[in-house]
Amino acid sequence: MRYALIAILALLALLIIAPPLLGTGWQYALINALIAALFAAAFNLLVGQGGMLSFGHAAYFGVGAFTVIHLMQSVEYGDIPFPTVLLPLAGAAVSLLCGALAGFFATMRSGVYFALVTLALAELLHSLAPHWDEMFGGEAGLSSMRMPSLGFTFGSTLEVYYLTLSWVVICIGLLYAYTRTPFGRLTLALRDNEQRIRFMGFNAHGTKIVVFAISAMFSGVAGSLMAISNETANYSVFSTQVSALVVLHTFVGGSTIFFGPIVGACVLSLFTFVVSGVTHSWMLYQGIIFVLVMLFAPKGIGGVIQAHIEQRHALPWKRLAAPYALATLAGLMVACATVFVVQSLEIVLSREYAAAVARTGEYAPYTVFAREWQVFHPFTWLFPVLLLVPGLYLLRRAFARIQTLWDKDDDDDNGDIAAAPRELMEGGH
Amino acid sequence: MEFLIVSTLNGVIYGMLLFMVSAGLTLIFGMMGVLNFAHASFYMLGAYFAYTLSGLFNFWVGLIVAPLLVAIIGMFIERYMLRRVHAHGHAHELLLTFGLVFIFEELIKLFYGDFPVNYQRPDYLNFAIFNLFGTDYPFYRVFIGLVALLMFIVLFVLLTRTRVGMVVRAAERLPDTARALGHNVPMVFLGVFGAGAALAGLSGAVAGAFFPTNPNMALELGVIVFVVVVVGGLGSLAGSLIASLLIGVFSSFAVGLDWSLASLFSLIGLGDWANSLGGLVTMPLSSISATVPFLLMLIVLLVRPAGLMGSKN
Repeated sequence: MRYALIAILALLALLIIAPPLLGTGWQYALINALIAALFAAAFNLLVGQGGMLSFGHAAYFGVGAFTVIHLMQSVEYGDIPFPTVLLPLAGAAVSLLCGALAGFFATMRSGVYFALVTLALAELLHSLAPHWDEMFGGEAGLSSMRMPSLGFTFGSTLEVYYLTLSWVVICIGLLYAYTRTPFGRLTLALRDNEQRIRFMGFNAHGTKIVVFAISAMFSGVAGSLMAISNETANYSVFSTQVSALVVLHTFVGGSTIFFGPIVGACVLSLFTFVVSGVTHSWMLYQGIIFVLVMLFAPKGIGGVIQAHIEQRHALPWKRLAAPYALATLAGLMVACATVFVVQSLEIVLSREYAAAVARTGEYAPYTVFAREWQVFHPFTWLFPVLLLVPGLYLLRRAFARIQTLWDKDDDDDNGDIAAAPRELMEGGH
Repeated sequence: MEFLIVSTLNGVIYGMLLFMVSAGLTLIFGMMGVLNFAHASFYMLGAYFAYTLSGLFNFWVGLIVAPLLVAIIGMFIERYMLRRVHAHGHAHELLLTFGLVFIFEELIKLFYGDFPVNYQRPDYLNFAIFNLFGTDYPFYRVFIGLVALLMFIVLFVLLTRTRVGMVVRAAERLPDTARALGHNVPMVFLGVFGAGAALAGLSGAVAGAFFPTNPNMALELGVIVFVVVVVGGLGSLAGSLIASLLIGVFSSFAVGLDWSLASLFSLIGLGDWANSLGGLVTMPLSSISATVPFLLMLIVLLVRPAGLMGSKN
């Protein structure tokens, strides 16, 4: 616990000190990562802690964004004075109301039906928004300007970054505090055994509405920060992609742990920022990462880290070191082969390449991994195979070895019986 | 009158197409409890495979082989992915298929580019079948409807009149009993998943030659198919047929009508007041036609989650 606190404080210090040294591109990427982190944490309150899988959280994100844009326009035209710093409060309030209303209906159903209600609500807004000019500004959307407040001009990206950072840290802190309250424990109980909650005399439907509304409120704050940062919003904030991205972030990070989604959101947003500059296929890589996590680490990155921390005293680290190193190497080989194939396809199948072939009549060499490759040279075809096949074989071997070492450890370790049922319980979700 | 007949005809045929895609989805849900987000991706894959095959061989080869390829992909997903995460619950299966949607869309963009491809029906299918009020009605639209109708009949007979259908229904209703009686239930699941994927692939192969074939087609159709399956009742084949026709006819009528809530109010003499409100009230039906299916889905989910024809769940 003390280590965790130190780690968080160190990270916070880094987030405060580092950005002035970075370029605007990175500052902007960090703003987006922070917003994604808050959105994922808010989403996970509903999904991970409340056990309600929503596929339409873009609705509340978007409501927050549009509320703030409307308010910013009023401030800009001098209709109402409202400090820029406190704008997310307005987004939060409206999202809270919308969340309570939507939550009232959505939580009447559970499981797949709940997911479908949330999906329908978001799609409803998404299909309506481009035609409703007064409210959502039609297809072009609405835009405004950040007004100076409290001595800040909010003209530079850096000032916006610090505003975002403060709001995100406060909100994530509040969300964490929420998990420590009795109501937070009740939320977990609702996920684990709703019937029992009813027997104990709690109002299950009412509780679910409150959880939904709070989740929507913090999503609204994230949407507000996005609107402040971009100074614009259009109907695409309601799109399936936005709802999908937060699902991806949350489950790659691991929904069973509080900090999992935050880690997932930060890692994937920064990954997107770096990779999207290099290749068009970044969404493909993100999809592959998500599916692999679902298949092989259902509790996400956070779940894997947590399992290691819990077992840190019991694991035979010395004997594990070799298989871990092997797994890393083999994983790199497989990743290398995949990236090579995807990037080669991206170049060779592009319109420009086809046009060049038609023009010159020959297949020009292309560059991947800072090396030139001939399209029809056997080595070009052999290279990914030579990486992929041994890589997959070694990966299997390494994981089989790791599995036996972990299992053996469980047999020896009879002292930690309490861990077993907890594992089972979490595995059930 | 012309508007009425042409819209009904177009709507019914669009509805039949929706039914072709949703039939597989509803079968899979009814049996395995998996809401397959990637189902509309199978539709897209069918269209693209058929496009490639029709370029290499001819149109009919594409129409027959593309669904088989899609079925193989579907079975691979069921056997090696869904079965693996099954132990972690339905939410994980849902999320897995959700991730696959992105992978399929991006792979299509990688191989075919992020723009529509020119998938054409052969010239000899390009004629007018009859003349309606001076406009020729394309034969190919009727062809789409016929394929869907044929598929519905085959599926219906297979499920209700044959031994295979009996085993499938048994595995759906009481999987444990079916297994105890010596039927290979996982094999049945695999088969149903493959068949469902093939149906989606077939509809893609047929419809792709008429409607645009582009990387967004899965996303565009995907949500509508969900609406159909929910309104019809998850797991009910007859329900999804009715819902498909309902939504097909509605969509084709809505684009041509400029009714709004305000015109409803003017019937009782409140037209001026309603028009002064503006906003939602004066929006014509044609511009919010995309919204109405979701409203319908929402109402069904809240009032009768079992759908029109679904059994109580």
